[in-house]
Amino acid sequence: MLEIEHLLPKVEKPARYVGGEYNAVVKDWDRAAVKVAFAFPDVYEVGMSHLGLQILYHVVNSREDALMERVFAPWTDMEGLMREEGIPLFSLESRRPVRDFDILAFTLQYELSFSNVLNMLDLGGIPLRAADRREGMPLVIAGGPCAFNPEPLADFLDAVFLGEAEDGFGELIEVCRQARAAGVDRQGLLRALAQVPGVYVPSFYRVAYDSAGRVREITPADESAPERVVKRVVDDLDRVPYPTRPLVPSTAVVHDRAVLEVFRGCSRGCRFCQAGMIYRPVRERDPERLLEQADEILRHTGYGELSLASLSTTDYSAIRPLVEKLVERYAGERVGLALPSTRVDAFAVDLARLIQKVRKSSLTFAPEAGTQRLRNVINKQVTEEDLLATARAAFEAGWLRIKLYFMLGLPTETLEDVEGINLLARRVLAVGDETGVPKGRLSITTSVSTFVPKAHTPFQWEPFLYLGEVRERQAYLKRRLKGRGLVFHWHDPEASFLEAVFSRGDRRLGAALERAWQLGARLDGWREHFRPDLWRQAFADVGLAPEDYAYRRYAYEDILPWGHLDAGVGKRFLALEHKRALAGETTADCRAGRCTGCGLCPALEVEPRLPQRVAIDAAH
Amino acid sequence: MPRIRLAFRQDGPARFLGHLDVMRTFERACRRAGLRPAYTQGFNPHPKMGFAAPLPVGMNGAREYVDLELESEAPAADVAAALARQLPAGLTVLGARPVEAGGSPLMGQLGRAHYRVTGRAANGEKWDDERLRAAVERFLGRAEVFVTRRTGKGTKKKDIRPGIRSLRARTDGETLILTMELAAGGGGTVRPDEVLRALREEAGLDLVGAEVWRTALLSGDGRLLWEC
Repeated sequence: MLEIEHLLPKVEKPARYVGGEYNAVVKDWDRAAVKVAFAFPDVYEVGMSHLGLQILYHVVNSREDALMERVFAPWTDMEGLMREEGIPLFSLESRRPVRDFDILAFTLQYELSFSNVLNMLDLGGIPLRAADRREGMPLVIAGGPCAFNPEPLADFLDAVFLGEAEDGFGELIEVCRQARAAGVDRQGLLRALAQVPGVYVPSFYRVAYDSAGRVREITPADESAPERVVKRVVDDLDRVPYPTRPLVPSTAVVHDRAVLEVFRGCSRGCRFCQAGMIYRPVRERDPERLLEQADEILRHTGYGELSLASLSTTDYSAIRPLVEKLVERYAGERVGLALPSTRVDAFAVDLARLIQKVRKSSLTFAPEAGTQRLRNVINKQVTEEDLLATARAAFEAGWLRIKLYFMLGLPTETLEDVEGINLLARRVLAVGDETGVPKGRLSITTSVSTFVPKAHTPFQWEPFLYLGEVRERQAYLKRRLKGRGLVFHWHDPEASFLEAVFSRGDRRLGAALERAWQLGARLDGWREHFRPDLWRQAFADVGLAPEDYAYRRYAYEDILPWGHLDAGVGKRFLALEHKRALAGETTADCRAGRCTGCGLCPALEVEPRLPQRVAIDAAH
Repeated sequence: MPRIRLAFRQDGPARFLGHLDVMRTFERACRRAGLRPAYTQGFNPHPKMGFAAPLPVGMNGAREYVDLELESEAPAADVAAALARQLPAGLTVLGARPVEAGGSPLMGQLGRAHYRVTGRAANGEKWDDERLRAAVERFLGRAEVFVTRRTGKGTKKKDIRPGIRSLRARTDGETLILTMELAAGGGGTVRPDEVLRALREEAGLDLVGAEVWRTALLSGDGRLLWEC
C-alpha cells in the first residue's frame, strides 16, 4: 500500500484516487498468477462511465488465476504532487505501483487520450518505448476502438488487441501464465501472443516509407507475425459473461447508472461512423436474459436509472416489448429508463413517452447533415419529413426542448448544406410554435461537431476540412442560428484537427506524440488543458507537418498505415461505399435481410443474430 | 412515514466523499437492501433523509447521524443489519433506533460538535505540554479571533472566538493532539480548520499532516443528538 493519505487533502477530488467502491474486487495478490491493471487514459469520472471496463473487470476477476485492478489518469493537481514526492502511478484496489503488474491494459477510446497513455507510463516508471522495456516489466497492451489504427502508438505498445475481448482476454492471460511457467523471455512472450487471433505486435512489422515519407510497405518482420491481424468478435453475446455486479462509484461520474447492453454492432451503415464498421455484425441479446440481467444489476447496485445502451438502441427487434416490460416492472420501484441513442422517427418518440411519464427532459436527434443530398452522401437515411414529424410528435407529447446533432465538414459539403442546418433547426422551431409550445420555454439546441475521417470507414480516404474553412462555416452558423428559442453549440476545431491527424496517422507520429508529451501535453480532451500551441511546437521539433496527415486524401491504391489490420469489412466494400457516397446513392441496412456484401460475415464466420423477430406494433 | 435514526462512522476511503456523494450512497444502499425510502414529491424526487450536518470532505466522522424515512415500518435493528451489508468501504453502521413521529429534524437540533485533531508541528518545532497549554490559554484569552471566510461574493472577516467553546492541547510523543468543542448548526458554525489557521497565525502553532475526526454531534444544550 503506497502512502498517499497526506496528498489527498491537497487535491480537488480525492475520491478519484481511493477506490473502495461497492462491488470493487480486491483479491489476494499472491494467489493470482497473472495480475492485470486496466488503465483508462483519462480521469476517474470518465473511465468509470465506460462499459468495457465493467465487462473486462468482471471477466478477469471471475477467473481463479488472475486479478484485475483499475488505474486512471490523475488530474494535474495529483500528478504534480506525485511527481514531487516520487509516488508512482498506482492501482485503486490494492494501491500498488502499476509496475508490479504483469499486464498494463490501456483502452483507447479517443485519439486525444494518447498523450495520457504516455504520461501514465512515465508516472508508472515504465519506459515509454516498448523497445526499452526489460524483463520483468509489465506487458503494455491496448484495445478499444482506436486500436484499429494504433500506429501512432506503435512504438509504445508491446501488443494490441483488435476487437471484442470477452474471449480473447482469457487467452492472453493463459499465454502469459504459460510463458512464465516455461521461463520464456519477453521476446518469446510476444511471439506467443502474436499467435493469439486478434493480437497485433507492432514491433514484429517493418514499415517502409517512400521519399515523401508516406507508407510504401508494411511487412511482417518476425515469423510469428501474421500478414494480417483480424479482429476478434463474439459470435453470441448470450454466451459470454455480462457484469451484473458492476462497480458502483461513490462519487459522481459522467454516466452514473445501470447499463444494459441490448445489442452490439449497428448495420445502418452511416459512412462516417467507425463504430458502425468495427463492431459488426449486429448481435442482439435475448430479451428474457436482458430482463434477468436488469433485475440482477438493479439488485446489486441500487441504481435508480437503467440505461439501454447500444449504438442505436431503438433498432433492437424487441425494443417495445422490452421497454414495456421494464416500465411495468420498475415504475413502482422508482427506476427510470434511459434510451441514450434514438432514431429520428415517431416510434422513438412513442418509446420516449413510455419511459418519461412525468418529466420531459430534452429529446436528442442526429440528422448529421442539413440537406437531403448530403444525408444521402453519408447514408444517414433520415428525411426532413421524418424529422419534422418526429419533432411534432415530441412537442405534442409534451417535450419543450429538442437537441439536434450535426457534423460540419462532411465530404462534398457546400455552404448550401451548412445553411441547411440553420433552415432545419428553424423548421423544427416553427413546428414547436405551431403545436403551441409556450414561446418562452421552447428551445432548439443545435450542436455541431466537425467531421473527422476514421480508419476502416468508407470515408477513410477523405481529408479533414481545412481548419480555416471549418471556422468560417462555424462562424456562419453562429451568425445565422440566433434568436428566440435557438441555441448553438460547436466544438473546438483545433481539437478535431488533432484528432484527424492521429485517426489516420502512421508510426512516425510517435515522435510528435512523445515530444508533445515532453512539452507538457496531457488531458487534451479537456478544454482547460488542451494546448494546440504545444502540439504545433512538437510537430515542428520533430520535422513533421500535421497538415500532411489531416488534409491528406488517400487514393484507393495507397497503402494505408492500418492496412494490415482487418476489421472484417472488406476494403473493396469500403471503396464501393465511398463511390456510392460521392454519387449520392444510399445503401440499405442488412437487418432488413438483404446482405450488402460488406464481407464481414464470411470473413469472420459469424452472422447477424436477431433471435427475436417479434411483431412490433403496426405504426413501426 | 416511519423514521429510523442511524448512527454511522465515516472514515477510510469514504471520508473523501462530498455530502451529495454520501446521500447518493445511502440511497443506493437502501435500495440494495430492499428498504423502500420515502421520496419527496415533484419533478426531482429524492429520498427523505435528514443528516445532522454534512461532514467536510477529508474529515472522519466517528459518530454521524442520519434520519431515514421509510415507506413502511421495519424494526430498527433489521434496518441497521440490512444497511450494514450494503455500504461501501468506510461507511459503518453503529446503531439504529426509531424516531417518534413529529420529532424535529437532526439539523435543527444541532448546536455543538466535538473534534479531535492529530498532527505534527511544522518544521520539527519542539512543543511540550507546558508550552502548548500556555499558548492555548493565551489564545483563548483573546476577546476576538478573526478569520477570513470565503463567501459567495468574496471574503469577509468573521470572529470565531464566541464559537470556540473549549480547546485543549497535549502531546503524545511527536504527535500533537487537539480536542475542541465548537459551535455547529444553524446558530453559526466554526470549522476546526479555521481554529487551526487561527492558532497558526495567532499562537505560532503550525500543525502539519493533520488528521481530523468529528467525535460527537450535540444539541445546543449539550445532549448527544442520538438522544434528541
